[in-house]
Amino acid sequence: MRRLAWWLIAAQFRTRRTATLLSLLAIALGVALGYAIHLINDAALADFARAMNTVQGDPDVVLAASDSAGSVPLGVLDELARDPAVEVVAAVIDTRVRVDGTATPLRLLGIDAFSAAAVMPRLLPRPADDSPAGGILGGRVYASPALLEQLGLRAGDALTLRRGDRHWPTVVGGELPGTGAGDRLLVADIAWVQAHFGPNGAVSEGRIRLTPETDPARWQADHRPRLPVGLLLRAADDEGRRVANLSRAYRVNLNVLALVALLTGAFLVFATQLTAVAQRSTQFALLGVLGLAPRMRLLQVLLEALAIGLPGALLGLGIGYALALAFTQILGGDLGGGFFSTSSPLLVPRAAPALGFLGLGCAASLGGALYPAWLNRRQPLAQALKTGFAQNPGAHGHRFWRLPLLFALLVPAAFGLTRLPAISGLPLAGYAAIAVVLIVGVAAAPWLTRTVFGLLSRRSLSPPLQVAVQNVAQAPLMAQVAASGLIVSFALTASMVIMVASFRSAVDQWLDHVLPAPLYLRSKGTPLPQALLDAVDRADAPFARVERTAHGSLTLDAQRPALALIVREIDRRDPGTRLPFTGPLFDAAPGEVVIWISEAVEEIYRLRPGERRRLPLLGGDIEVFVGGVWRDYARQFGAVVIAREDYTRLGGDFAPTDLALWPRSGDEAEALRWLAPFTAAQGLEVSTNGELRALSLSIFDRSFAVTHALEAAAMLIGLFGLAVTLAASVWLRARELATLGALGFDRRMLGRAVMLEGLLIAAIGLLIGLACGLAIGAILTQVVNPQAFHWRMPLDVPVLALLAGVALTLAAALLASRHAARQATRLPLAQVLASAQ
Amino acid sequence: MLSVVDLSKRYAGASRALFSGLGLAVAAGEIVALIGESGVGKSTLLNCIAGLETADRGSICIGPRATDVVRLDEAARAALRAQHIGFVFQAFHVLPTLSVEQNVAVPLLLSRVPRSEHARRIGTLLERVGLGGFERRWPASLSGGELQRVAIARALVHRPALILADEPTGNLDPRTAGEILDLLLERTRDQGAGALIVTHSQHVAERCDRTLLLTAEGLR
Repeated sequence: MRRLAWWLIAAQFRTRRTATLLSLLAIALGVALGYAIHLINDAALADFARAMNTVQGDPDVVLAASDSAGSVPLGVLDELARDPAVEVVAAVIDTRVRVDGTATPLRLLGIDAFSAAAVMPRLLPRPADDSPAGGILGGRVYASPALLEQLGLRAGDALTLRRGDRHWPTVVGGELPGTGAGDRLLVADIAWVQAHFGPNGAVSEGRIRLTPETDPARWQADHRPRLPVGLLLRAADDEGRRVANLSRAYRVNLNVLALVALLTGAFLVFATQLTAVAQRSTQFALLGVLGLAPRMRLLQVLLEALAIGLPGALLGLGIGYALALAFTQILGGDLGGGFFSTSSPLLVPRAAPALGFLGLGCAASLGGALYPAWLNRRQPLAQALKTGFAQNPGAHGHRFWRLPLLFALLVPAAFGLTRLPAISGLPLAGYAAIAVVLIVGVAAAPWLTRTVFGLLSRRSLSPPLQVAVQNVAQAPLMAQVAASGLIVSFALTASMVIMVASFRSAVDQWLDHVLPAPLYLRSKGTPLPQALLDAVDRADAPFARVERTAHGSLTLDAQRPALALIVREIDRRDPGTRLPFTGPLFDAAPGEVVIWISEAVEEIYRLRPGERRRLPLLGGDIEVFVGGVWRDYARQFGAVVIAREDYTRLGGDFAPTDLALWPRSGDEAEALRWLAPFTAAQGLEVSTNGELRALSLSIFDRSFAVTHALEAAAMLIGLFGLAVTLAASVWLRARELATLGALGFDRRMLGRAVMLEGLLIAAIGLLIGLACGLAIGAILTQVVNPQAFHWRMPLDVPVLALLAGVALTLAAALLASRHAARQATRLPLAQVLASAQ
Repeated sequence: MLSVVDLSKRYAGASRALFSGLGLAVAAGEIVALIGESGVGKSTLLNCIAGLETADRGSICIGPRATDVVRLDEAARAALRAQHIGFVFQAFHVLPTLSVEQNVAVPLLLSRVPRSEHARRIGTLLERVGLGGFERRWPASLSGGELQRVAIARALVHRPALILADEPTGNLDPRTAGEILDLLLERTRDQGAGALIVTHSQHVAERCDRTLLLTAEGLR
């Protein structure tokens, strides 16, 4: 029996080479995209985890401040160090500095070499051979090899480190051999760092190693209540989890998109296998008559699908690896989400995910073949042997009632799914709703085909159009097969176009609101020098108005990424001129500390406008009033804005990092000339409003570039499906076409009829695809994006772009139909008619 | 070999039964012709005997164990056909994607004849039907007569107890039809199988051992 199965598979590959190869490639493409995205994200995550491990070392617990303005007093560390359960405490100062003559801020870690040897061995420096005695304790800094290469420095070279107005002239003492190829950081003795950049009497973190018999979770639980306000304890692996959480929704979203490409591949297998079953219906019927069991007829089609899916998936794994390798070599490890560095992470293919994608490829292929296999199993043998393929075997009577019933169940189900909340931060119900919309769309195809073309066929039409309309109306299942790939791929493409257009227009409007000043000056994380801050306030400075902002961070939940804490010079009574609020503003009582939160903070931490909450700010437990919720597309994990006056009243040190500048009389050129000496000396970045807007939109466009590739792949596969099914349909209707030829249709008319048929099927597919695309676009913008990324936006349907897409796809469908039309014009009419007798 | 008792068949929606209370028997080595007007139910009767359509009532016993086809499920009917029945059709029905040798091998694979016997049986039969040396040829390169010879070889290769033939010479010219009929009768008798041949041809009927006429009233 295996031999017969193999003969039939080989015959399928031999006689239906193009269709089978296209199906195989479609599966390969879907698997390749999914696997490449997985490999790149996996490598980027592993690279990030490795870099984090280098810096953090291997402690059990980390003690840190809740907000970036805070620090860990040395007294608290000393007290913890006396705890018998604590083996060692490694104090660390983690700060950002700039090397004189360069613009990019660098990470400088101040460590205690003795405790670091136990907890963070990869940060231990290797002094140069000719280094004087004293090493790290002698006040030298050590750099990772990647940084030395970037700065063109060697051991013994002098350099000056600068942070705001403070500077430290020092010497490169050697390198950090334990750091990775992409790590760019500096290490120095903690006392030297503290002396030059602070904080006084405190450190950034205490990394704690507990005795082997101590349970870290219990120790944390015991000590957390006794900690001074403003400090938090977290498990060492929380940081890795935070990074994984940070990018998880983005990674899942990309994988879902890749799976949709695989789904369209499954539809191509569906089209190929159904037409293969239809074409070979008399052969399968004969095998059935000769004794091939019904189960074996079903299995044979599944085996043939597996023979497409398995090599397709294997090929996809190879292509996926090559794609990922090329991508990481050329563009680094970030797929556009901005979560990972752009260094080239090392790809490490592991067996389990590879097997998973191999399985997905096979499952897609088998899934696509299930219905054709079932139809093959159900074919009435005697009838199929005589008259060929039965589209609806075993159907008795009118079954149109099933479709409204299906719709009545599925449409409310899809709507209900969109009302469900995210599960573990992922919009799984939203994805399920998208799947339901696609199922409804594909199921509607035969009904719509029969209804529309049934009505059209009653009109007086030109002979080729009449034949095309009649045929589509009479064979709705074939039309469904041909259109299904297009429905899915066009729905995906249209929905992505709608989502991206809605998002882009929302970002555009948002930029109008958040970039009110003509000029912006940024220090990229380090405080601006006081000389500059004083200068911009002087009367001779060419600015009519200057607004200062300081950026920090705030941790409300150790398991989640830190929030951005933005201290701004902002009018407390009228914050709406600077922040794009989404709802009403609430007035705080006099003397109250007011904050304005981004939508992400509202959703993640359940903070509500108008309510009072206690937050760990500036080392204290401060009651704040939530004055309103504003839209923020820049910080996915949330941002809190506080007015400078409130912040300083709480004792905060306002150290601006950004300036918004309004040049006097609108003369930007003069303002830029005035700023030039400061920016050159301090490595500051000045941008016009237009430049920042262009940069933001270009980052936005880049982040969606990968989705366009997925859309293109899906559309291509959908068009393949149409071409394959039409070609098979010509083969199946050879007798009918030959009869038309005998009745007076010339070959050009036959070809035209087939091309028109392709066009009509594509039109139905696009109509349904567009409707599904609108629904999915709404789900993406109103459910998936808010749940996955906390981005809300109004729905904006780009009608012209969608119509252009429809026109382009129709043209492509016409081209795809040409192959089938040419087949029709080349039919050996006499021979076909003779064989029909 | 074949025993049909009290067989009735009525299609859903039809006003009357196609046939009712039919009975017939074909002994081993006996060749019976079944004639009758178009639409009287000859092919349906053949399909019921082969288990391709289900009868409403009666029994159809085939093979050495007299297995009743009517009481078998679909899979068992397929197994019975693979083991005990050979088919010859008017339209040849040779699998176009398999070579001549592979076409003839299909019943051997389905009836699980040991692989070691395949080459010998196929070679012998192809020689006997006049297609020696055609093993690697593709059906597209064969004439109608040659295709029907392949079909006869395929019907006999697994040594079935019963041959069912539906207008086996209907698509052939008179000279080829004569040759094919000779071949079919000769080889069927060689193997000692019973045969039921549906035909419109008086000439074919005369060459058989016995002729049954199916009419709306029943078999005569």
